[in-house]
Amino acid sequence: MQNQFNIFNKTARMVLGLALMAVTVSCEEAFEYELPEAGSQVDNVPPSAAFTYRPSAENFKTIIFSNLSTESTNYSWDFGGDTSTDKDPTYTFAAGAGTYPVTLTASDANNASNSITVDVNVVDRFVPLPVTILNGDFDDGQNDWKFSTFTGGTTSPYNSSSDGSFTNYDGSDNGSKTKGAKWTKATSAGPYLSSNTRYAYQAIIVSPSNADRTVNYILEYEYAIKTPAEQAGVAPGGNRIYSEILGGHFSDGAVAVAETPVSQFIADQANGKTSHTLVEQQFTTNESGQMAILFYAVTDVDVYIDNVKVYAAD
Amino acid sequence: MKHIKFLLIVFAGVQLISCDADEFLNPLPDSAIVANSFFASDEDVLAGIIGIYDAVQGVNENTESSAIRFNRGIQLEYLLTEHRSDNTRSKTLEGSRADFHRFIVEPENIQSEDYYQSMYEIIFRANNVLAYVSNASAENVDAYTAEAKFLRALAYFNLVRLYGDVPLVTSVVVADDKELLFTRVAKNLVYDQIVSDLQAGVAHLDNSNKARASQAAAQGLLAKVYLSLETPNYDAARDLCQAIIDSGDFSLEDNFSDVFYNELNDEIIFAIQYVSGNPDESQGFSSEFTSYKRQGRQDGLNIVNTNLVEDFNSHGGNRGAASFAAFGSDAALAIPENAEVIKFLPEGSDISDRDNPTYGSSPANAGNDWIILRYSDILLMYTEASMNGGDTANGRAIDYYMEVRERAGFDPVSDRPAVLTQSDLLIERRVEFAFENHRFFDLLRFGVADQVLGAHAAEMGYTSYNARRLLLPIPAREINLSEGLLTQNPQ
Repeated sequence: MQNQFNIFNKTARMVLGLALMAVTVSCEEAFEYELPEAGSQVDNVPPSAAFTYRPSAENFKTIIFSNLSTESTNYSWDFGGDTSTDKDPTYTFAAGAGTYPVTLTASDANNASNSITVDVNVVDRFVPLPVTILNGDFDDGQNDWKFSTFTGGTTSPYNSSSDGSFTNYDGSDNGSKTKGAKWTKATSAGPYLSSNTRYAYQAIIVSPSNADRTVNYILEYEYAIKTPAEQAGVAPGGNRIYSEILGGHFSDGAVAVAETPVSQFIADQANGKTSHTLVEQQFTTNESGQMAILFYAVTDVDVYIDNVKVYAAD
Repeated sequence: MKHIKFLLIVFAGVQLISCDADEFLNPLPDSAIVANSFFASDEDVLAGIIGIYDAVQGVNENTESSAIRFNRGIQLEYLLTEHRSDNTRSKTLEGSRADFHRFIVEPENIQSEDYYQSMYEIIFRANNVLAYVSNASAENVDAYTAEAKFLRALAYFNLVRLYGDVPLVTSVVVADDKELLFTRVAKNLVYDQIVSDLQAGVAHLDNSNKARASQAAAQGLLAKVYLSLETPNYDAARDLCQAIIDSGDFSLEDNFSDVFYNELNDEIIFAIQYVSGNPDESQGFSSEFTSYKRQGRQDGLNIVNTNLVEDFNSHGGNRGAASFAAFGSDAALAIPENAEVIKFLPEGSDISDRDNPTYGSSPANAGNDWIILRYSDILLMYTEASMNGGDTANGRAIDYYMEVRERAGFDPVSDRPAVLTQSDLLIERRVEFAFENHRFFDLLRFGVADQVLGAHAAEMGYTSYNARRLLLPIPAREINLSEGLLTQNPQ
């Protein structure tokens, strides 16, 4: 038995206990009372400042900064007067669009620091709403141009005509006439106003103007008026087409035509049937963004319009 | 007392042995190279090249389920890319796989570490082949060299986009050459190497392979690299895409679903192949994409975000029905909360009964290929290159864009835009390549990653998001091994 190893021997138990103790005493505790400098390494890497930024989704003037600095713990931002010590600050440039130099100073606990100045571009990335005119080429008869009701008048918007422009809606040359809209003396307004007077109406939704910005759109269309050689007669004030932008949506035509338009253009070049003239009528949007197009004519001779479009001005 | 001495000696011996264990205290860094192979003939070099593909392919988690890094190759890539975009998320919030979609990946994250290591495994094997490729017969040297370089470029391209500056190792080096192994090289220099490696592929490969590197694969990847540079080379990217289109070797599948279930079809330019039911050659991600009746090891990964479903509804055409599906009570919703990816359903799957889908006999060992490059990507990259970072009215650029959209069921006339914008193209790429690990890189390339992901994180309540999260942290293991040489990305 003398040579036999007995694990339950008292001395063996003591040694195992000591060994176990040594293992369970963690390094952290073992080194707890050493001087803080012992074993520490010199910080040879100085801070390096860097950042990036993006506008917030709600307000283009509010910029969210992201700190990309390395080897640093303290941050000091200068937005051109206002300052911050946040790591990732958010700052609103109240003056709006423009370029603002922003300085970030990154420093570490050794007071080593590094600065970077970046010109922050605050850009208004406003994109106006696109407008789709329904039946803008009048290929679909009178559809989409009628008032829903017209007290004391007709909801018929114009005469459908085969004497429209040679130009297709996409701008390409059709090689022959396309369909269009027509007014005659019998459907005219002005001195010829009657229950038979026709108005073409279409509601549109555009980007509204407000305190921050003024938004301009363009109403574009082509028109033609018969020459005296083609058809005799001149209405009082001349043969002409009115194109108007109204500041709202209307269900009753009688209310709409009584409204003072936001924008009005009088088209009066008499170049002859199917000799179309292009009109680009600019208007400023209202605060609701709800607007409407209104066409009518005062004429003794046949007049025509075609290819009505609305798009944002540059 | 005899016993004390004896035990003390044993105890001390144990201490000495464990302290001396090289492997434990001095593990090899992931970017390290141990050159102990020797290639003597064409067969040996080719075997070495196939070995590189093996590293890309990775090891199925269902075959080797160890939780530590295990060279998963590209099988975990969706965590680092799709989960870190606005496309998808993890169903559970538990475990390190659930950190990606919330932008809280730490340097200790095991999946990120595995991916980093896998990419360097590819690089290591490629460098090893390149060191001995001259032993192949003369007529094969150029092609073998180009193939190894293509795969090395693929790995570096992934690394540089996910981790930023990374150590650039292009030769067989010994493990204690720490300067080379742990010095991060500026991104533009890494890109120089990638471009030069891919140019070898453009010059010396042909289009005889789809599951291995080809000329078109090198051209397509190089085009994407050119578009990804800090100063993109749009002209060169456009010419490369045109060359692939003009080759006539590729075309779109008529049916979108066939792209994924008709392997190595005409649309595929480069794919990593897997074999169904074979533990050594199969992949595990197909099973992880199931959740309602889950086949994977997790509760469900790559779960589709609702804002992607909305984009599918408005811009996807017929692609939504071939890309994701909702099950159970979710199936009745117009915008399901927890839709699942169905581009990679395991062989034998039948999901027609949305209350009881089945997934074939071996969903955990799925054989669906992983597509790295396909023809519609080339068409859309041509368009992207033509746009020079702005909008375009260029007819051919819009033709190629429409070719992809028409396959999805859009009308060639009424759905054709007169002017194509950057955001039109980005959203088209989102629905065309959803779940194919493109979205995160697309957002970076289009310069809108911070903007889009910042808004997405705010909407989803991922409060940890900031622009620093666009780069993954360098794995802690590497930094520890580097003894202070390897620097961390800003945290």
